[in-house]
Amino acid sequence: MTTYIIRRLLLLPLIMLGVTLIVFSMQQLLGPLKLLSTYVDPNTYAKLSDQDKIILMEQYGLTDPLPVRYGKWIGNLLKGDLGWSVVGKEPVLDALLHRFPYTVELALYALFPIIGVGIWFGVTAAVHHNSFIDQTIRIFALIGWSLPDFVWAILVLLIFYIGLGWFPPGNLSLWADEVVKSAAFNNYTNLLTIDALLNGRIDVFWDALRHILGPIIAISWLWWANLLRITRSSMLEVLRKDYIRTARSKGLPEKIVINKHARRNALIPVVTTAGQMVIGLLAGVVIVEMVFVRTGLGSFAATAAQTLDYASIMGVLLFTSFILIVGNLIIDVSYAFIDPRIRLG
Amino acid sequence: MKKFFIILMVTLLGVFAFTQVKNPDMIFDATLSEPDTLDPHHAYDTSSGEVIFNVYDNLIAYDGESLSEFVPMLSTVVPSVENGYLRDGGTTYVFPIREGVKFHNGNDLTAEDVEYTFERALLYNPPGGPVWMYLDPMFGVFSIRTLVEDYVGASWDNIFDSNMNPTSPEYEEALVNFYYDVIDPAVEVQGNEVHVHLARPFAPFLNVIASGSGWGAILDKEYSVEIGIWDGNAEGWWKYHGWTKEQSPYFDHAMGTGPYKLVGWDHAQQRVTLERFDDYWRGPAPIRRVIIQGIDEWSTRRAMLETGDADIAYVPAQYLDVVLSMDGLTVIPGTPEVSITSLGFNWQVDPESPYIGSGQLDGNGIPPNFFEDHNVRLGFAYAFDYDGMINEVLNGLGEKVPTALPTGFLGFDENLPTYELDLQKAENYFKRAYRGRLWQTGFKMSILYNTGNDARRVSAEILRDNLAKINPRFQVEVRGVQWPTYLDERENMMLPVYIIGWVADFPDPHNFIFTYYHSEGDYGGYYGDNFAEFASLPRPEFGGKSLNKMIEDAAVEADPAKREQMYIDIQDFVIDYALVLPLYQPQGLRVHRSWLKGWIDNPIWPGDYYYDYTKVE
Repeated sequence: MTTYIIRRLLLLPLIMLGVTLIVFSMQQLLGPLKLLSTYVDPNTYAKLSDQDKIILMEQYGLTDPLPVRYGKWIGNLLKGDLGWSVVGKEPVLDALLHRFPYTVELALYALFPIIGVGIWFGVTAAVHHNSFIDQTIRIFALIGWSLPDFVWAILVLLIFYIGLGWFPPGNLSLWADEVVKSAAFNNYTNLLTIDALLNGRIDVFWDALRHILGPIIAISWLWWANLLRITRSSMLEVLRKDYIRTARSKGLPEKIVINKHARRNALIPVVTTAGQMVIGLLAGVVIVEMVFVRTGLGSFAATAAQTLDYASIMGVLLFTSFILIVGNLIIDVSYAFIDPRIRLG
Repeated sequence: MKKFFIILMVTLLGVFAFTQVKNPDMIFDATLSEPDTLDPHHAYDTSSGEVIFNVYDNLIAYDGESLSEFVPMLSTVVPSVENGYLRDGGTTYVFPIREGVKFHNGNDLTAEDVEYTFERALLYNPPGGPVWMYLDPMFGVFSIRTLVEDYVGASWDNIFDSNMNPTSPEYEEALVNFYYDVIDPAVEVQGNEVHVHLARPFAPFLNVIASGSGWGAILDKEYSVEIGIWDGNAEGWWKYHGWTKEQSPYFDHAMGTGPYKLVGWDHAQQRVTLERFDDYWRGPAPIRRVIIQGIDEWSTRRAMLETGDADIAYVPAQYLDVVLSMDGLTVIPGTPEVSITSLGFNWQVDPESPYIGSGQLDGNGIPPNFFEDHNVRLGFAYAFDYDGMINEVLNGLGEKVPTALPTGFLGFDENLPTYELDLQKAENYFKRAYRGRLWQTGFKMSILYNTGNDARRVSAEILRDNLAKINPRFQVEVRGVQWPTYLDERENMMLPVYIIGWVADFPDPHNFIFTYYHSEGDYGGYYGDNFAEFASLPRPEFGGKSLNKMIEDAAVEADPAKREQMYIDIQDFVIDYALVLPLYQPQGLRVHRSWLKGWIDNPIWPGDYYYDYTKVE
């Protein structure tokens, strides 16, 4: 098991290098002039003279051949310099570090309702197969599954912000933002709710929570539905298995049959889905972040991609491919814990 | 225009409407983007300009809504020949500097600060920045590099190595002397006055330095040197030249004399925070704090507007009906904008262009010089539905203009003829084109637009549909490409026609007429060599002058009445020849909470001027 993990981890930098090389080469297809237009404000671009364009292309190193540019990029990367983010208006590394905590915090809080409730609903639906409870849960899941995320996000905003005035958009209220930015406030983890508690600021904690609940509600329903469907079908399949019939015919109480024999075995596909969800959440939830003005990684990556901001795209790519690889490794390892028959090697 | 300029005040109190002003001491402006840079000599977009506009003062300012009248700011007079502060036949502007003005750090404003600001702008001159607007009137060049090369007598690449160090001691000496001989004498301090010398009389000069332009902002010399901007010395000035945006310490710093101080620019949240400057020389602003935040999602901006968390919000034209139905808002549709969206013709498309089909007049393409034919251009001009575009697509938020000159500018004349949708006329012109051959063979070409820009897409589609109606053999394909591709294709002369907008740098006709109709203009340069030849031929309409010469002469004409007539003559000519199709002048949609009072609609301003605002129900 340990060797397996080490081997996978050793592959990590190689895979990441490969991924960046592919994307970097694609950027070369665009040519220096097209790339330059991503560095300059569109209205300003209309006013550039030919000489300006040449100087700017040189300044940003866009005229160098691909190997030189990639070499420079790798060289700077090793020094911790990921370049300048046109979209973020700051160095790419800073941009990622400033935005990632918002995403992590959202993912952390969203995880519990999504996984807990998703699995619980799934199991319940399967156990009460074709009953009223099952039908209700399935309708609930169907709506969540088929509703486009932006529609649902805007609905949540409408109900909980405009209607009830509970969960406003943004990361924090303006007053709380000032508190967090003041010298007296220590940023231990950069996670707003946790830092607020560590600083003994219950008011800021409450404010941060108010701002995070809207996005959580928006994400949860969409992702519950997915997990619920997987759990339900996996559970149904297991419940039809011979050993369950055997367990029941032995006269075991239904509770033990479900919890001990069925659920555990039904969890394998659920772990895969849940794991991928965590990865997805960490890589950023684009629409929800945009609607709720939560300045996390998702909205940043989306804007960077739209505007062809290559330095930022490469940065996000490095970051997310790292999460993806490590995340998948954790999923694989957890299989082995859930089902000892699975051997890694 | 007036009919669009309807002011609608919706102040009905609904069940959920607020009876009280929310956050009375603060303004929250929910806008679309964040600044590009806060360096006044680099910033060239309105989002940056808006922040600079509130943090700094200029020497003079526009008088309220006026685009031509000025009031003194840091200068105590607006120079004119009559008051004696515009001298030497219009080439020396004298600015007496106001006393008792403080920068936000407590420093006093002096004439040296003003001199430093001008010189720093000239020497810094970053590529893609606005400083050419100083260099052109002051030295007759568009880049400091040209000026240095002329003075030193060598090319820039020979004078400097790749690290911007002079390649020889001789060059270094020449560069130092360049400052003493050229830059230093151009802006002089005499007592409390600053004298600015121009190379030639240049009518729009006051426009260039008036507020509304970030590049006219006056910097604090002491603070600038402190944070690492040019140290004010002749030796080594070149080390402070031409940085990229992010290299300048002024990228996210600001120190002006304006009504608001910059508290911070949070890049992650796209949020700029401003705080009232209590020692402002005109007295402190009524509102203590201003937050300008880029919020990309319309639904979110709308929600914030509805709850009263946002006082001002950017509203796209298609949501006019939505905001009109909301309570507690002031909605003003049809505010003028100093920009034109036009369709330009390329008289000499690259023969390799994938957008001209076979590249011949055989029914499967167009020849590269297709648009050199006067009749083809006129045929296109009468095939576009200008009114339909404005009324149906822009929701009425646009205006029809005769040429690529916005309303309100000197030389704008509503009596000039405009093109109308007239398929019969178009057909007549097309039948005459290429001695009737075009009508027989038909043509195929592509019109591109940048994806996401729906107005441009629809413009192209209208043209496509109408051309097909005139003659089914006229086949236009409308194709969307990404913005960088669009620009690249234009650059390489691949586009047969291109639809693009131009936003004013300053409200002077030269900024549009030169751009669009001079063969060296920013857009005219893309009509090809055939057009350049056309524009430099002597014309009987101009008494033997060429179009280019006429445009150049109009820029330096000192008599406004004569100048106006020259621009009208130029426009008569360009309409006759259908050189450019002005599709529409876009209009803005202003939406703010009704409790916000004091908004002034000056279209040349980069944004809101918060000093004028109060919040009262």
